Amino acid sequence: MIYIIEDDLDFAKCIKRYCRDENSKIFSNAIEAMGQIDKDFPNLIFLDILLTGPDGFTFLNELASYSDTSKIPVVVISSLNLKGKDLSDYGVVGVLNKDTLTPKEVENYVKRYSH
Amino acid sequence: MESEVNGILVAAHELKAPLSILRQLAFSLDFADQKETSNIRTEMISVSERAIRQVNDLTKIAHLEDGLFEMEPVSVRAVCDDVIKELTYLFRFNNRDLKVKYSNNSRLVVANRNLLFSVIYNFCLNAVHYSTEETMSRLEISDHYDKVRVKIRDFGPALPMDVWREMKRGWIKCPTSIAMRPGSSGLGLYIATKFSRYMNAEVGAIRHRDGTSFFVDLPISNQARLF
Repeated sequence: MIYIIEDDLDFAKCIKRYCRDENSKIFSNAIEAMGQIDKDFPNLIFLDILLTGPDGFTFLNELASYSDTSKIPVVVISSLNLKGKDLSDYGVVGVLNKDTLTPKEVENYVKRYSH
Repeated sequence: MESEVNGILVAAHELKAPLSILRQLAFSLDFADQKETSNIRTEMISVSERAIRQVNDLTKIAHLEDGLFEMEPVSVRAVCDDVIKELTYLFRFNNRDLKVKYSNNSRLVVANRNLLFSVIYNFCLNAVHYSTEETMSRLEISDHYDKVRVKIRDFGPALPMDVWREMKRGWIKCPTSIAMRPGSSGLGLYIATKFSRYMNAEVGAIRHRDGTSFFVDLPISNQARLF
C-alpha cells in the first residue's frame, strides 16, 4: 500500500497514476492519513509538506515517534527548497521537487520500496 | 518596499503552482487510457482557466486606480449563479459539496459585475480548498440592514487573529503565506478586498471554531425599486 498525502487533488492524482498498478490511497491531510495507518499499513509514503492542517513536518514527527511507523520510507514532494537538508532521521528516503518531478523518479521509488 | 516584494513573490508562487500541475498532467497522458485521457484534458482546461482568471484579476488590480470599472445595478443572485456554474466541475472533481441559500429581498446591488464575480469566485475557491468530503461549504445571500450580504462558510482551520483584524479593518495590506491559513497564500483574499474597496463594499470574516465565513456587504441599488 502506498500513501499519497497531498492537498492538491490534481497533483495527487498524477502521483497515483505514476504508481501504476500499485495499491495506493490519496489523503488530503495528515490527520486522515494517520487515522488510517493501523488499518492499511503503508510500505511507502509520498508526502507534501505544506498541507492544510498539520504540516508535513508534524506528520514526520508523529511517524518517527512510534516504533512501527518510524520504519516506513517517506518520499517528500514539495516546492520548498529542501536541498541539503538531512531528513533521514524521520525515515525520509528521498526528496522530490514539485517543479521538476518526473514520473520516472516516482516509479523508481515505487519499485524500490513498495514491496 | 519589502511588502511589495513579498506580494510579488506570493503572486509568482501562486502562478507557478498551476504550471507545475499542467506539467504533471501532460506527463500523465502517457499513463492514461482513452477515458482517463479525456478526464485529464478536462482537468488541464480547468487548471488553466483558473490560472488565467487569477492573472486577469491581478491585471485588474493594476487598473483599479484608473477607474475603468463602471458601477451599475447588478443582480447578485445571477452573479452567484454564474460563479457556481463555473465552479461546479471543481467542486465535483474534489468530491466537495456547496449548499446555496438565497434569502435576500433586495435583488440589485451597486457593483461592477466582473469585480463582484471575482470576489465571490475567490471566496468559493477558498471554500473548496478548506472543505472536506464530510463538510459542506455554504453560500448564502441575505439582506443585512441597508446592504446585501454574500457569505461563504467553510470548515477549514480558523483564520489567524491578525488576518482577521486586517479583514475587520476592511483590507489586506499584502498577501503573505506565513500569516494565512496553512496551504494558502491569501492572494485570493487580497484580490477580494481590493475589488470590494473599489466597489464601496465591505468585506469581512467571521471566525468559527470549526472554520471561517468570508462575506461581502454590497450597497443596495434603489434604481429598480417602486417603493
